[in-house]
Amino acid sequence: MSIVKKPKAISNWYLPGILSGMGFTFKKLIKNLFNPKGMPTLNYPEEHYQYGPRFKGNHVLTVKKDGSLRCTACMLCATNCPADCIKIVASEHEDPTVEKYPISYEIDMLRCVFCGYCEEACPVDAIRMGPEWQTPALNGGNFTYDIQHLAYRPNLKGGIQSRLDDEERHKAGI
Amino acid sequence: MEIKLLSEHYDKPEYRSLEGYKKHDGYRVLAKALKMDPKAIVEEVKASGLRGRGGAGFPTGVKWGFLPDNGEPRYLLCNADEGEPGTFKDRLMMERAPHQLIEGMIISAFAIGSKKSYIYIRGEYDDSIRIVREALKEAYSAGFLGQNILGSGFDHDMDVYVGAGAYICGEETGMISSLEGKKGQPKLKPPFPAVKGYLGKPTIVNNVETLAAVIPVVDKGAQAYRQHGTEKSAGTKLFSVSGNVVKPGTYEVALGYPLMDLINNECGGLKPGRKLKAVIPGGSSAPVLTAEECAQANMDYESLAQLGSMLGSGAVIVIDDSNCMVDLLGVIMHFYHHESCGQCTPCREGTGWLNKIVHSVLSGQGRLQDIDLIVRVSEHMMGRTICALSDAAALPAISFVKKFRDEFEFYVREGRSKVKGAAHVEM
Amino acid sequence: MLKCKINGKEMEVPQGTSIIEAFKLSGQDIAHYCWHPGLSVAGVCRLCMVEIEGQPKLQIACNTMVQDGMVINNNSETVKDVVRWGLDFHLINHPLDCPICDQAGECGLQDQYMQFGKYDPEMAERKVKKRKVVDLGPTVVLDSERCILCSRCVRFTDEVSKTHELGIFNRGDRSEIGTFKDRPLDNKYSLNTVDICPVGALTSKDFRFRQRVWYLKTAESICPGCSTGCNVNVYYNEEGLWRVRPRHNPEVNGHWMCDEGRDTYKYVNRKARLLEAKMGHRDNWTLESPGAAAKAAGQKLREVIEAHGPESVALVLTGQYTTEELETAVQKFKGDLGSSLVYHWVNNPESFEDFDGILLRGDKNPNTKGLLKILEQEGVSLTWKDLESRVQQGQIKTVVVAGPENQSVFPDFVEKVNLLAGVENVVWLTACPHSVLDSREKATWQIPLKTYIEKAGSFINHQGKTQSFEVGTVIVSSALTLAEAATLLVGQELEVSSGDRLAELTRKKNFFTETRGAL
Repeated sequence: MSIVKKPKAISNWYLPGILSGMGFTFKKLIKNLFNPKGMPTLNYPEEHYQYGPRFKGNHVLTVKKDGSLRCTACMLCATNCPADCIKIVASEHEDPTVEKYPISYEIDMLRCVFCGYCEEACPVDAIRMGPEWQTPALNGGNFTYDIQHLAYRPNLKGGIQSRLDDEERHKAGI
Repeated sequence: MEIKLLSEHYDKPEYRSLEGYKKHDGYRVLAKALKMDPKAIVEEVKASGLRGRGGAGFPTGVKWGFLPDNGEPRYLLCNADEGEPGTFKDRLMMERAPHQLIEGMIISAFAIGSKKSYIYIRGEYDDSIRIVREALKEAYSAGFLGQNILGSGFDHDMDVYVGAGAYICGEETGMISSLEGKKGQPKLKPPFPAVKGYLGKPTIVNNVETLAAVIPVVDKGAQAYRQHGTEKSAGTKLFSVSGNVVKPGTYEVALGYPLMDLINNECGGLKPGRKLKAVIPGGSSAPVLTAEECAQANMDYESLAQLGSMLGSGAVIVIDDSNCMVDLLGVIMHFYHHESCGQCTPCREGTGWLNKIVHSVLSGQGRLQDIDLIVRVSEHMMGRTICALSDAAALPAISFVKKFRDEFEFYVREGRSKVKGAAHVEM
Repeated sequence: MLKCKINGKEMEVPQGTSIIEAFKLSGQDIAHYCWHPGLSVAGVCRLCMVEIEGQPKLQIACNTMVQDGMVINNNSETVKDVVRWGLDFHLINHPLDCPICDQAGECGLQDQYMQFGKYDPEMAERKVKKRKVVDLGPTVVLDSERCILCSRCVRFTDEVSKTHELGIFNRGDRSEIGTFKDRPLDNKYSLNTVDICPVGALTSKDFRFRQRVWYLKTAESICPGCSTGCNVNVYYNEEGLWRVRPRHNPEVNGHWMCDEGRDTYKYVNRKARLLEAKMGHRDNWTLESPGAAAKAAGQKLREVIEAHGPESVALVLTGQYTTEELETAVQKFKGDLGSSLVYHWVNNPESFEDFDGILLRGDKNPNTKGLLKILEQEGVSLTWKDLESRVQQGQIKTVVVAGPENQSVFPDFVEKVNLLAGVENVVWLTACPHSVLDSREKATWQIPLKTYIEKAGSFINHQGKTQSFEVGTVIVSSALTLAEAATLLVGQELEVSSGDRLAELTRKKNFFTETRGAL
């Protein structure tokens, strides 16, 4: 957004403005030089800020007890996604109690706006947004995350299990 | 006081056979009827005020009058699929006097001009099936069935059809479906069976007792028959009394007979030390009457309707204070859930739902709102379906909850029956 | 005509109209599941309850006929309450597995609950468990839990396909749809049961889990599967077509269509299509854009005519193209090239007149009548034998074939290609590739054509009824229509439509690029 101000006569007198600005800068410079702990900024990447657990960072696909995906490929997340960055291909599962599952689930992270609608749309707690947010990559890095990455990347240590239990639900006749 | 128009000779074992039946004036009325004008018989039955004894109480003569005059073959079906819990009068009639039924049917068939009739007997009635089949053989060999009956020129064939044990086949269109070889499910009305019934032809369906009652009507005339009973409910009726009475059984009394007299005089009253709690006067589908209501009840169609119940098939179930009404409703709901044919959604789902609610109360998991829910679900089942089965399930549910609410609330709060020592039947 | 009043609206309906039909005629909403205009009345869902003035009990609209002077309404609180509860009864044992249910998005339960529902479920008991993923036959899968037992599918197999495979087994809330042992649901119309199923109980094996219906757009078209010309809706997205379903037309197909016709979407999709023109012969093909290839072929055609005269060039047509295309092709061929050798390729002459009594016809071309009409109009009456003898005598140097779009219904495809093996040049216009064409020894041009859904035009069905249709979607944008190909073949240029200039001028401008300028 740009704010355009109409030029006034006083705008031509730029020197006082510059001097007062430089004064503020040097005041802060000297203060931070002698008292570095008071600085509000972090020395990234040496220092990391710890966000709260409800931070909406990179997506995680949750898994069932046996380690398979919870996702039923209902496509509600993809339907709800305002950035249109989720692509799912569904297929028929051999197990009739599972019936439908995704054979491919891809999120284009470069398109994702981290709105969290996918998480909210999910009826089975299969997709969550985790605290992880630093995922830079060099030229040629892959930002289209697939099932392998979303559900089983190494830092998830075998996948995140949802607290919902299908078998219990099934037994309860829900 | 018992008036035995039909059941006079039921106590005599020989009455079952053709010989014995003839000895007691059997088939005499048939001979008389075959000499009459069929239309005169229909008029006589109309005038007698004879009403259907199967449950609905529709005037028989009027029903016969619905047959269209289009020359199509007509069928007479005898509804012997006596499935209503608490009813056992038809069974007694078929086992003690099969020829009475056959004679009544031939007369009725002659009156409506039918050449073929079926007796649809409930599959569980092994004895009845055997006895009626034997009786049919006897009747054929004696010339009461077949070609040119008693030289009158009237031909008639009769067959026994055995049901497979579905309550819903006691409903007339359900019975027709079953007889046609289809799944026993009631059919949409209109068209009514009298216009389009068995195999799409005009069909009359009557109860065993109704058909047998045609004999005294034709024999003594409408006026003589009307002397028994009340103005609108004429004649006598067989009542099957069961439950907590000293002498349960089938009793023939005139319609309009006080309910308490039936219990106290004919049935020997309740067991000593017990108090009357409730009576279901017309089979399990009739709303229950409390002890106070019983005192005003007469056993006829109008009096019971006034009390919010119905005469139904005349199955009086007497309940004394040793019974738990919640448990009893559980049994009734289980029955209707099991017997719903599954066609119409409110009945299919509603009977199952009611059964589950009542049983969750019985298992101690009930919630207070469940009691109201039983009433609400029942109210929305009533009058919404093709046949009356959903009403039959809803009516007792509503009446049980409304009249014995304290027992239901006690069960929900305490998780046990208010009646001490009432056995809980696990379904 | 009978006068009646529906929700206060006066209207006239013909004798013998049921109340629910009158409601549909008046355009007012009425909840229903079991009633279907193409089937008998079952009256089991009990949702279409209406109040009729003068009758104490509510009546079901599907089994009650309109009588003169009837005053009917379904907007009173009583009726609304009944419908709300009726829907709740339907739902108490419904599994609500919409996330994995294929019907979600076009489900009768979802739609009607949104419109008429109670929104306050009171069912707290266990649901009845039934069979899931039941294989009913080669085309259909059943989920008994989702079934609301409306019996539409049972009535369909009893009344329309008359195959009687389905039935309702057991009773009460244990009732289930099922087939008899060793008698799977296997008939030529089985997928209609999926269409009429108001819930996700019956799903098509072909479409199951492939797409969510809300991603699909609909276009109206005519089935090219046979000469019946069933009216259809095709469902497509940017990837292509996903399914074909019947569209109601009482004069042609009623509410139904056959399973064969539903497969016609398959050859339309990119995977099955010829995407670029191929020029050359066996093991030596060059790829070219369709337009350029057609021009090159046209060049060759004119060379042949110059060398051997116009009677050395023949045109073979199939009844798979629109009347307009066929007319242009014949006119261009006769008028501009001067050859009168136009032939009709009849694919299966022995079963051409077959009819199964419902919809399926032996003539597997949508426009045989149209082709015959054009041939008659243009005075062409050559037989196939004539072509055979001319080919054998070597009189014909070049053949242009408007080959079949749907190759699977042309059992003599290979035979016909082999017949033309000796012809020096063959210009084969086709939507789909074929290995036999690729192995031709002599000069061949394979030029991709558009399929029925990608062009506008009309088919004339077996009754002589002209049914026109519009462009639904475009799958292979560079492919030509037969008319365009014929124009290019005779050496003319295509008219370029410049699009709608006015629409472009009045188009809504993008604020960010047009007005605001750079930051």
